[in-house]
Amino acid sequence: MSTTAVQRRRGGLIDRRLAARVSATRRYLLTAVGVGLASTASVVAQAILLASVVSSVVLHGATLGAVTPRLAGLAAAFVARALLGWAGEAAAQRTGAAVTSTLRRQLLRHALDLGPVWLGGERAGELSLAATRGTSALTTYFGRYLPQAVLAALAPIGILIWVGAEDWPSFLILLGLVALVPVAMVYFGRESAARTRLQWRRLSSLSARFLDMLRGLPTLRAFGREAHGRREVAEATDGLRQTTLSTLRVAFASALALEFLAGIGTGLVAMVLGLRLLGGHVSLYTAVAVLLVSPEVFLPLRRAGAEFHASAEGQAAADRILSVLDVETEPHEGREDGRTESVEAPPNLDPGGRAGGSLARGRVALSAHRVTVSFPGRATPALIDFSVEVRDGEHLALVGPSGSGKSTAIGLFLGFVRPTTGRVFVAGHDVVLAEAALWRHLLAWVPQRPHLLHGSIEDNLRIADPDASEARLTRAIELVGLSHTVQGLPKGLATMVGEGGVSLSAGERQRLALARAVVRDAPIVLLDEPVAHLDAHTEAALRDTLGPWLESRAVLVAAHRPELVARLDRVVRLGTGPDASKPGCEPGSEPGEGSEAEEDVAEAASQ
Amino acid sequence: MTSKTTGSLTAPAVIRELLRIGAPPWRRLALAALLGVLGALATVGLLAGSGYVVDRAAFRPGLGAIAGVLAAVEVLAFLRGPLRYGERLVGHDAAFRSLARWRVWLYDRLEPLAPAGLLGWRSGDVLARVTDDVDTLQDLYLRCLLPVGVTVAAATLAVALVAVVLPVAGAALAAALVVALSVAPAAAVATGTARGREAELRGRLGAEVVDVLRAAPELLAFGRDAEALAKVEATDRELTAIARRRAWSTGASGAIVTACLGGAVTAVLALGVGAVHAHHMAPVMLAVLPLAAVGAFETVPAIATAALRANDVVAAGRRLLDLTSIRVPVIDPEEPATLPAGCPRIAVHDARLRYAPDLPWALDGMDLDVAPGAHVGLVGASGAGKSSLVHALLRFWPLQEGSASLGGVPLDTLRQADVRRTIALVDQDAHVFAGSIRQNVTLGRPKATEGEVDGVLARAQLADWVATLPDGVNTQVGEEGAQISGGQRRRIALARALLTGAPVLVLDEPTAGLDQESGAQLVAGIVDDARTRGTSVVLVTHRARDLGHLDRVIVMENGRVAHALDGPEAAGLHDPTRPALPDGAGADRPTPV
Repeated sequence: MSTTAVQRRRGGLIDRRLAARVSATRRYLLTAVGVGLASTASVVAQAILLASVVSSVVLHGATLGAVTPRLAGLAAAFVARALLGWAGEAAAQRTGAAVTSTLRRQLLRHALDLGPVWLGGERAGELSLAATRGTSALTTYFGRYLPQAVLAALAPIGILIWVGAEDWPSFLILLGLVALVPVAMVYFGRESAARTRLQWRRLSSLSARFLDMLRGLPTLRAFGREAHGRREVAEATDGLRQTTLSTLRVAFASALALEFLAGIGTGLVAMVLGLRLLGGHVSLYTAVAVLLVSPEVFLPLRRAGAEFHASAEGQAAADRILSVLDVETEPHEGREDGRTESVEAPPNLDPGGRAGGSLARGRVALSAHRVTVSFPGRATPALIDFSVEVRDGEHLALVGPSGSGKSTAIGLFLGFVRPTTGRVFVAGHDVVLAEAALWRHLLAWVPQRPHLLHGSIEDNLRIADPDASEARLTRAIELVGLSHTVQGLPKGLATMVGEGGVSLSAGERQRLALARAVVRDAPIVLLDEPVAHLDAHTEAALRDTLGPWLESRAVLVAAHRPELVARLDRVVRLGTGPDASKPGCEPGSEPGEGSEAEEDVAEAASQ
Repeated sequence: MTSKTTGSLTAPAVIRELLRIGAPPWRRLALAALLGVLGALATVGLLAGSGYVVDRAAFRPGLGAIAGVLAAVEVLAFLRGPLRYGERLVGHDAAFRSLARWRVWLYDRLEPLAPAGLLGWRSGDVLARVTDDVDTLQDLYLRCLLPVGVTVAAATLAVALVAVVLPVAGAALAAALVVALSVAPAAAVATGTARGREAELRGRLGAEVVDVLRAAPELLAFGRDAEALAKVEATDRELTAIARRRAWSTGASGAIVTACLGGAVTAVLALGVGAVHAHHMAPVMLAVLPLAAVGAFETVPAIATAALRANDVVAAGRRLLDLTSIRVPVIDPEEPATLPAGCPRIAVHDARLRYAPDLPWALDGMDLDVAPGAHVGLVGASGAGKSSLVHALLRFWPLQEGSASLGGVPLDTLRQADVRRTIALVDQDAHVFAGSIRQNVTLGRPKATEGEVDGVLARAQLADWVATLPDGVNTQVGEEGAQISGGQRRRIALARALLTGAPVLVLDEPTAGLDQESGAQLVAGIVDDARTRGTSVVLVTHRARDLGHLDRVIVMENGRVAHALDGPEAAGLHDPTRPALPDGAGADRPTPV
């Protein structure tokens, strides 16, 4: 699809694209419109009753007793309108809530499906803004604007037909003015929508900037540059004021146009009716009724205009969310390409195993065959022709300078990074072809930068295995040498750790991530720079305590210094040196061959 | 991070405080209110006037009899729109001006709390607070003060107009208006008790959404993604239930207004009919009464909204004002001492520090002496108190006991800015801002010349890498330095500190994320550089290889000095063949493998 075609599709009517994704909306929408039409009918009834009372009394001297039934009817029409308005409010809320919830769910699910690599390139702050504030703004758009917009198209037509039947000159005046409305709406509305989208983007970047400044406060203070951050915030806010005001000037101009047309409508109708009454061409009843109804022709339009402005933020948010939903996930490749799913004999899986499971001794736990990974927008591939094989119980290290592709290699086995060419297997499952559920439970992973969820330490350990016993958690904490730290915390394992784990040091976070892997108790362990934030003493202690736990498992450790793993069977060096321009891989070699890899083991051991 | 002190502030007190901070442009607000009242009266006049016109014309009195009123009606019809337009624009401008003040105020409140005072904040929560609560405040003018003022003034004038025509009808209209203006807002806020809960849920939803997006790798790897989404949905369901109840009461409030309008229209019409028969009122005025009533009610629904928004504004204002009650950890002395020029001696004696009374001591009897031009290493296990010592030295957190001095001057008599001008810090979590490499480096000294920037880039061993970038020092680093590697981030932070030219350099784990070799090389370069310049260096690290070029190495344990190694002993640390530190000291592993 060409770029312009994509843009055209993206720029399409948001409500259609939303309706396609959220099926429940149509029913609620119809309810809301039905309620609105009934409400309009009650307004016309009021006008008729009021006009008839005035006309009877003024022209025919009707007594209060004679008009009482009509007065009662008038009151009843108001009550009906009150109740209809109440129902409309409830319908609007339901519509909005249904859309908001569904869309948020879809957005988060889709973001997860797109995976960590894609998410890494997105601004998490901006996306979470879209998923909270953005979807909430949609409530207004879907709950209020859309029903009102439909109503604005239907109700004036109904009223005009009635006016036409009563008094044709008034009909012509109102028709002419109503015909001008769409012109004004389209002109100002478009202008306003474009500007509001711009404003939403600025608001997003404002919150990103504000967050950036808040996160950097320690640094700003360390350098005595608090005033700089303050200025950044003030400038961003003032910029927002200016854009918002220019948006509003246009947005209010459309309201002005509508209000102006409505005012002129009433004024002109009053004038024409007055003159025709003077000439005796129209009855007082008709004059009063038409006069009362004439503002109602414009009311649905004015409301839709107001809601349009109020919901413009929601439209901008919807645009952002839909653009995320439009990013296509890489489909699981079909199997009809003739490739077999596994190169090995079927793996020996623990049937029905969740976390954990086991592998048969000597099976290949992890293997990569001639894998090259290129990321879009990067000149050089992150990995070139990478091959490796880790058997069960084998411990293998990936070493190499920063940027040599160690984390990319780990990402391959997690299924986060897709090989551009070549194939990757976990326990005999091709990670591209096989469902993640078949093989991910065999993996325990310690990421380079672990994220802690908002919750207790225990919650954070249990994401590795929700059913783990208390004893297993305690043992894992012990194993990574955090017992003392955890006991020192006010609530022990139940202590809350923030998002990002702000109250724990980087080293403690990393050890908590190790403990998480221990709780996982899986046969294959992937360690990505597990000791980057640890001091040598802690690291040495960890190596001693983790050794027995790692012993029987297949271990792949990516590190500058793979010392954490006491027994290394092989070392694979990625890249050809610190200034390697072509990341690649030298084949792993057995210890004792006198290769460079062996030197590495020796070096690692001697430090 | 929670505080109870402002929870007791009454709503008027919160609003007074918000007005004080926002410094509202009163003239703009008054102008907006005036335009609003005139706009509302134009509606009443337009409706009542046209009612009179048709009623009078029905008696066919000749054009002259209605021409005056008809002309007035047409003028009002023209004026109404522009009056409203002016009101809204002026009102919004006033609100946005205050908004900028509120935002900066918030920044100023958070600033002195960093870094230690902001621990425990969730970034998602702060974000929600900042964008939502501050944005909510603008409604104080637009949806609360202005509509209430305009509606009350316009309704009073409309009642007066009707009373002139028929006093009893004026009384009936007034009664209906009073009921609508008091009952409808009360109904709207009937579910107000759920508002606190709603704010809490919104905060939780934000945190959960951030969790899903930030911890996506872990959630996916451990197969917990569905569970995390289910959590978001559960919170969402609870929020939806609250919103449903609120829609119910908002709807009720709207229904009350419509019912009151119906009552008013029916009553004034009935009273008018009676008055016409009793000859208390001319028949031509009959249509004026109900139409004036309709006009008088036009802005009434805004009052219910105002009540709702006032609740929101007060709640948001209270949360924001809570921030003022968080104790600022360090306050500058009234009459600060002056710091002698040159490279100062750092002396810490028997220092104790903790972050809260119920937390263990982070520093517990710490001693430190760094002579001018000395190069001291600080090692120890995680949690030994190294970073807390750095916090104390930079005056981010006060010592509870013991003393610390800089150049012989007690640290707590110095201005924070003076201390930080003297000690340049490369923090463990040094922040790299979204912006260019140059912007990040010159944060250390904004007026630095091109040559000076190039100089520090070279000293931080960044020059070669920067030279390969198409945009050079103007390359954007992305949010939190996402576009560059961890090692490059550290070097940028280092270059930033070097550019300040401060006589003391404190490096907190400058080599994390670098491989051993380049880490040791970087540190060696910095220390040698400092030696030729005569500046002091305090190096916090966990790597033995980084310690090779230092004069002294201090091993910390449990918040105090466990061992100190001088000169040659310290120099020997980088020799990997020697088990350099006494057992268990922590700078190296106890037994070589």
